[in-house]
Amino acid sequence: MRDEQDGAREERDLRLLTASSALIPPPSRGIRRAPNTGLAVVSLGLLALLLWSVVYPNASIVIGSFAGGLGAWREFAASPADLDALRGTVIVAIGSVVAALLLGVPLAFLLTRTEFRGRRLLGGVATLPAALPPLVGVLAFLFLYGESGVVTRIVQRMLGLHEPPWSLQGLTAVIFVHAYTMYVYVFLFVSAGLERYDTTLDEAALGLGASRGLLLRRVTLPLLMPAIAGAMLLVFMSALGSFSAPYVFGGGARVLATQILVSKLNGSIGLAYVETTVLAVTAVVALLLLRRMEGRRPTAMAGKGRATRAGARSGAARTLLPMLAAALVILLVLPHLMVVLVSFARDGAWTTQLLPPEYTLDNYRKLATERALWRPITNSIGMSAIATVANAIVCFAIAYVVVLSKAPGRRLVALVAALPWAIPATAIALGLAATFDRTAPLQLRVLLVGTFWILPLAYFIRNIPLVTSAIEGSLRQMDPTLEDAARGLGASRWLALRRVILPAARPGLVAGTMLAAVAAVGEFVASVVLYTHANRPISVEILAQVRSLSFGTAAAYSVLLILLVLAITVGARWAGDSRPARVPAG
Amino acid sequence: MERRRPLLALLFAALLTACSGGDGRTVLTVYSPHGKELLEYYEQAFEAVHPTVDVQWIDMGSQEVLDRLRAEQANPQADLWFGAPAEIFSRAASEGLLDPYTPTWATKVPADAHDAQGRWYGTYMTPEVIAYNTHAVSQADAPKDWDAVLDPKWKGKVLIRDPIASGSMRAIFGAILARSIAQTGSTQAGWEWLRRLDGNTKEYVLNPAMLYQKLGREEGTITLYNMPDIATLEQRTKTPVAYVIPASGTPLLVDAIGIVHGARNPAAARQFYEFVTTPAAMNQAATKFLRIPARSDLVEDSLPVLVRRARAEVRPMPGDQKLIADSLDGWMKFWDANVRNSRRGK
Repeated sequence: MRDEQDGAREERDLRLLTASSALIPPPSRGIRRAPNTGLAVVSLGLLALLLWSVVYPNASIVIGSFAGGLGAWREFAASPADLDALRGTVIVAIGSVVAALLLGVPLAFLLTRTEFRGRRLLGGVATLPAALPPLVGVLAFLFLYGESGVVTRIVQRMLGLHEPPWSLQGLTAVIFVHAYTMYVYVFLFVSAGLERYDTTLDEAALGLGASRGLLLRRVTLPLLMPAIAGAMLLVFMSALGSFSAPYVFGGGARVLATQILVSKLNGSIGLAYVETTVLAVTAVVALLLLRRMEGRRPTAMAGKGRATRAGARSGAARTLLPMLAAALVILLVLPHLMVVLVSFARDGAWTTQLLPPEYTLDNYRKLATERALWRPITNSIGMSAIATVANAIVCFAIAYVVVLSKAPGRRLVALVAALPWAIPATAIALGLAATFDRTAPLQLRVLLVGTFWILPLAYFIRNIPLVTSAIEGSLRQMDPTLEDAARGLGASRWLALRRVILPAARPGLVAGTMLAAVAAVGEFVASVVLYTHANRPISVEILAQVRSLSFGTAAAYSVLLILLVLAITVGARWAGDSRPARVPAG
Repeated sequence: MERRRPLLALLFAALLTACSGGDGRTVLTVYSPHGKELLEYYEQAFEAVHPTVDVQWIDMGSQEVLDRLRAEQANPQADLWFGAPAEIFSRAASEGLLDPYTPTWATKVPADAHDAQGRWYGTYMTPEVIAYNTHAVSQADAPKDWDAVLDPKWKGKVLIRDPIASGSMRAIFGAILARSIAQTGSTQAGWEWLRRLDGNTKEYVLNPAMLYQKLGREEGTITLYNMPDIATLEQRTKTPVAYVIPASGTPLLVDAIGIVHGARNPAAARQFYEFVTTPAAMNQAATKFLRIPARSDLVEDSLPVLVRRARAEVRPMPGDQKLIADSLDGWMKFWDANVRNSRRGK
């Protein structure tokens, strides 16, 4: 993975810098530079941008919840359904975090630390779940593990049961789907952390007589804590606001995100605003707790990381690991295969059979002759590109200000930047719709509803926390004295930024923007509220096909979307592997 | 910065895409739940006659249309709203989201199938039916009336579309409660009926497509839903499904059309309004898309058998429509909090 030759010189330079800075007694721990005007302007500018795009639209929802005095709040407190939904939401969020950690952390260790047959293949498919757009993923799970799903029926037949062995319903089903789709955050963050992890530290600890357990507890986990905490935060927040899975599998169980929709459709906008506010407050509380946990850990890591992969130690591991890898690969790929299979199935023909009985190319043929086929696809690509480029620039600036500066307002910037995860996409969309539905300069309103730009803005807002926390994770692993040292040695601010900060931020920047582009290109929940005829994205087209019972055509569209996502992933890997262009010294 | 170039190129391409488009024709925006096929059909037919108009429809659920119109109230994006139960149109009208328009055929629909101030007129009639999977249930065994669905033999076999979001289910539940009031003077018997239905319910399914899927795959074998959708499923897909028109009568939803308040192109909206409601267009809707026209002046013989049968056999369920319209939101809230899952699976 790492290009040793290329990085060698840079690494040596950095080690020297670290060593020299260690000789000078630091003025305080954490070393942040004294405030300076340029940074203060950047920080306040970011704060203004975030307040306008994130806080302003959502504040109108909180204010809206008090429109009828405390009436809607009393209604909420007295409603057993709402309290049930609140409990369900917390269970789903915590359950998803635990499940994602159990899956993501071991897999990241396995792939970065161990050499075994099938490692490359497993590494190749490990991020595939991120390639399934929310709605498509949920449908694929239904076709696989639902009561009449393929896997369910196979198990039922093998055991000779009359009833399906399980039913994919309720909170457990939601957590099951979340574990599959959200473990990717944990996996990517921890992998990025491990990539910057210097395994000579392990050797040193072991050499000094530490047991493996002690090593894990006192060295490895503390060093990875920023990455793990960042990932936990993302999983928790996405699970809290997740809509598609509870919407489809919720059946008996309630969560707030779907309860908001129920209230809205029932004509109780006030109650919907209260539910949105409660959900957001729950999330903000969790956010503060997790941030605290992230901030308490010592995070400095010297050097650029050196990963060595060991072969499996025992004979048992040598045979078991490839089998485990094979099982994981199958599990990870099945939903995609299912979507591909359905895209070739004739609609309506598949009833009680194990697999679709009739196959056809009609679904793809229909797409090829569809008059406006390429419009949703170019729309999604274009809007995703605009939003992601904006995310890369703005979020890098946010992460820099938050992690490496002492600029005024940075704590508030950090808090507000993490906010969009806390707010369900539906609420973000509604807030935008309510705020940017007219041009009113005095109220800082611009007409965006009904224009092309409303969706890129929504995608941008939704992905701020994702990209920011990925970059922050990387920057926190950098020794904060490095930048000072570079400046002290005569580098200009710009050179230090390019040669010290950007390289340090790169794993997170690449991982974050990749996830953002993937999320934007398949975004569904906010899109469905805000799209117009001119910017209709792929996900909305898929929904339209599902609505008209064309599961096959919807699956064919989904296959195109998955290919698009894979292209983005491959592009990101290429960007992650190639070294930045060498800048002539001068 | 070299590796940013592909991104910049993409951005540029995206900007080009964003700025292109628009061919000088008048854009007519239609919000409708009628589905891709019907909308595409009328779009092409209309544009062939009115080449200066570009019809852009957006296909979404009835309740979503209402939500969207509310959100866009300050700057309306749509010109015409084509399709949704009259109950929803009435709410939109009372919120000032619709403009009055009297179509040329205004006198050809029943008095209760249009708004007194002309803000919406009925286009199609939608009866609710009992549907069953023909693989699993024989025609003789299928329940013939509402009360038969409560039979213990259907325990764990009934699929119900989530009632909160479904116009059809709301109409059925409303009719059951209104019947209870008409017969006993209170809603008590109606709630007991709904609790027993909850006891027989296998699952509350969150959207129609999944309902059809689960019904076709025998996760449940009977359901309650609207006739045009079930008939389309029966005739246009291979799903093994058939339906029974309940003997004691059924709620009959009026599906309506109306012009959005503040429409940008009201003239084109009126043209399209008239275009999709001519006798010829109604005939097309009946033959091609199995809709039951609300207009009373159509030549009966020109309609397909299925539609003629429905027009003849469907008897509206007795009940105070005004009472239903006024109480439904409260009833649904009570159902959600107290009836849902009270006996299901027990």
